[in-house]
Amino acid sequence: MPIAEKGYAHWQGKFIDRKFAWWPITRLAVRQAFKKKGFKFVFFGSLIPAFFYLAGIYISERLEDFKFMMKGTNRFLEVNPAYFRTYFTGDFLLFMIVIIMVIGGAGLIADDLKYNALQLYFARPLHKKDYFLGKVFTVFFFLMFLTLVPGLIFIIMKLVFAGNFKFLATYPWLPVSVILFSLALALFFSFYTLLVSSLSKNRRYVSILLILIYIFSDVFFGIFYGIFHNPYFALISIKGNLQQVGAALFKVKAPYDVPWLYSFLILLAICILSGFILKKKARGVEVIK
Amino acid sequence: MNIELKSIHFNYGKITALDGVDLQLAEGACGLLGPNGAGKSTLLRILLGFLRPDRGDGRVLGYDIRQEQFLIRRSVGYMPEGDCLIPGMDGVTFTAYFGELSGMPRQEAMKRAHDVLFYVGLGESRYRLLETYSAGMKQRLKLAQALVHDPKLLFLDEPTSNLDPQGRNEILELIKDISSKKSIQVLISSHILPDIEYTCSYVVILNKGKVAAQGAISALKEIQYSLYEIKAKGETERLVRKLEEKGCKVEETEDQLLKVYMPTNLDRKEIFRLADQEKVQIRYFVKSQTSLEDLFAQTVGVD
Repeated sequence: MPIAEKGYAHWQGKFIDRKFAWWPITRLAVRQAFKKKGFKFVFFGSLIPAFFYLAGIYISERLEDFKFMMKGTNRFLEVNPAYFRTYFTGDFLLFMIVIIMVIGGAGLIADDLKYNALQLYFARPLHKKDYFLGKVFTVFFFLMFLTLVPGLIFIIMKLVFAGNFKFLATYPWLPVSVILFSLALALFFSFYTLLVSSLSKNRRYVSILLILIYIFSDVFFGIFYGIFHNPYFALISIKGNLQQVGAALFKVKAPYDVPWLYSFLILLAICILSGFILKKKARGVEVIK
Repeated sequence: MNIELKSIHFNYGKITALDGVDLQLAEGACGLLGPNGAGKSTLLRILLGFLRPDRGDGRVLGYDIRQEQFLIRRSVGYMPEGDCLIPGMDGVTFTAYFGELSGMPRQEAMKRAHDVLFYVGLGESRYRLLETYSAGMKQRLKLAQALVHDPKLLFLDEPTSNLDPQGRNEILELIKDISSKKSIQVLISSHILPDIEYTCSYVVILNKGKVAAQGAISALKEIQYSLYEIKAKGETERLVRKLEEKGCKVEETEDQLLKVYMPTNLDRKEIFRLADQEKVQIRYFVKSQTSLEDLFAQTVGVD
């Protein structure tokens, strides 16, 4: 292969100061994720429940037309905050979020560690915070697409199908709940994914850990709850804690008889611990390598 | 001066990495030499603004190493030692991406990435996935990402490691071209002394966190010592001891050749005088051409 096929020319352009220096990192990570085998299928497959819930909203406004299907009850199709809570904290959606994190998020930091890319990043005019924000917003992008976007569409479509604002007048805080819980979910899964991703250079180990921690935290809760019948064991379950916080934000009865604040504090502690470990990892790359 | 450091100290806990380093480097290519643990990588990291020195001040391209790390990183290119890549990317996207992270507008970064990849000889392979690149191609790719934003100063950490002879020659030619014709100053940290000797006119030798020697290679080789090669018959150990007492450093090669590094204040006749004293016959005596390896060995005290 010939070297220097072309001469070197100096660049005459001007550097720009980006307001969001993390944006190129997020854009690249999202594009890379969609290039991965099966990711599109899983990602868009995760939206299937959203279509059913949307259909439910439509049916709830046309109960008369669908009465023959209801077998004398309309309880299931009552669109209220509990309906939203069921979508947001449903087992399927939470599990699919974990699967999306496995395919699209496991390598976010693990690959950079494995292929020594961190030193290339930090040799640029880039803050550590910009690097991590770039990764965090990658997870945000996926999760907002699965939570915030459908949640807001549900509200809008409910108003459109109803033809009035009665729903919003009854639950004026619901859009805020949707936004807050979507943010909480995205924030937690961002830190959770990045924490686990920073613990190993091997994305396979990271993927396995992401699933195992999520599933086993719930399995252990089930075992301990079965033995001791103490609802406080829900605090060891990631899913349980998310469901508790979700119930509080949508102002419905919590699934477990435990103050939701405890669950919130546990999730917050995991996020803070992640932030601390990530900071140490970045420092380690600068000093030791 | 492009790089000016004054009395830089840096410690990793109780371990002293840099102990009062003073440096002044202007245009051209400069080699940074030193045994493992000498402080080369720490010095590069301080120059890049990764680490803040415990004491001392410095400027890189006129920017303060304590206050203006961002401006430094925008104006310098860094080629790390090991393989660095992002899996799943092709060469041109990778190079453009790091141009963009340096602050270039996206489209200009992409255009420039094409140009730089052609310059380093990866034009034909720029759309190939990075995982399929050979060691030499990865090395050139690292050089491309360091050049994409047109830096004024280039830090190269072991640029020829893991390369076959042809790949090594090609990279060295590129470095020589960059430093001599493109008005980009190059600072090369390397263990391969012939590479430094080939590409650089100036050298800094670090040892135990201190600058053991610095200056133009030709001047250092001239000024510091003279090298003589001797073959002798008799009790050479005693002659060696006497020479060392006089301040010479003596090495014995496998074929019983004595390499005598003699301080410039000593006369070569001293060798003959001492040999006569110790009843040793000098059967071969020649003033040797000194290489950078000789200078390194003499300065740092290692073979």
